Amino acid sequence: MRPTSPRPGPDASVSLRGLFVLFLKIGLSFGAGTGMSAVLQDELVARRRAIARGEFMALYGLARLVPSGSMTALAVAIGYRYQGWPGTVVVLLAMILPGLTLMVLLTVVYGLLAGSPALRVINLTLMPAALALVVVSGYRLGREFFTVSLEPVLILGGGLGVLLFGINPSVLLLAGGLIGALAVRHDTSTEDRA
Amino acid sequence: MLAQLAVANMLTFGNGSAMTAVLQNSFVQQAHVLTNEQLLYAFALARVTPGQANLYVASIGYMMFGLPGAFLSMVVLVLPSYLMIPLLHSYEFVRGNRYVHGLTRGLAATAVGLLLTTTWNISKDSLNAPVTWLVLGLALALLMFSRLPTLVSLLLATSVGIGVVVLGAGA
Repeated sequence: MRPTSPRPGPDASVSLRGLFVLFLKIGLSFGAGTGMSAVLQDELVARRRAIARGEFMALYGLARLVPSGSMTALAVAIGYRYQGWPGTVVVLLAMILPGLTLMVLLTVVYGLLAGSPALRVINLTLMPAALALVVVSGYRLGREFFTVSLEPVLILGGGLGVLLFGINPSVLLLAGGLIGALAVRHDTSTEDRA
Repeated sequence: MLAQLAVANMLTFGNGSAMTAVLQNSFVQQAHVLTNEQLLYAFALARVTPGQANLYVASIGYMMFGLPGAFLSMVVLVLPSYLMIPLLHSYEFVRGNRYVHGLTRGLAATAVGLLLTTTWNISKDSLNAPVTWLVLGLALALLMFSRLPTLVSLLLATSVGIGVVVLGAGA
């Protein structure tokens, strides 16, 4: 299904309270942005029929263009669509609070373990597992770029720029973005599938 | 810290993994206000708890400045998402614009390269005993080739590591 133009103004068919409860549920979903957007799509498109699939896809595609997490951008769009500016605040609070609370509590636990033998065991066991997560994330993020195109050159340039020349990563990102803007071919079919 | 975070967020489009590269360079390598272990712990937490993967910056914020650090880092993280509202009004223009598309592709591809470098930098500190290599290999295999949830994969790999450490084979 092709994306359709999203509605730019508020439509009050989902109340503020309804948004809060829905996004609290989204905030409690596992699977990060992908898992959360799947739950959101299921709730809004399939169960409640509150938004057409094409419009949801359009919002999702647009959220990928915003310089913040796609899920927070999508949440702002949904909050704004139903309840305007107050809706955006309510959805962000509801979505972030569960994860934020858990993150802070578990960070407190980590702080309490400082200097204990348990922390040494964590460093020997949990840290390599976390490193594996970083590797897998990098692979999944990058596999769509491993084709005959400009992107593998940018990947290589980004890596070597830091490793060999010690260039600031922010500078490399800016350069990569500019090169991409000028040289990467626009394939709308990719966007339509998003 | 907030300024660094804002830059990382803007340039990596809030991608939790890609942001790691900029944050590791800024906080661990340049400012020395965070260790690789703390960064990895925060990153792993966000992957096994509910919510967005980039919530790990709240953990980093807490490690550096307590609760205010955690809350302010979240504010910095979500503020750019309000750009969605003007974008909603100019959807057709943005969707068809090749420069916008190219910019996001270029930023994402460069971020992947930076992330690979970060992995290399962190691994020099973290892979310092045979058991760490064992856990890394096991975790990689489970994450890549099994259909187990991330939390279960991490717990399994970590449990094997703990078993080895307790038995004294890896220390």
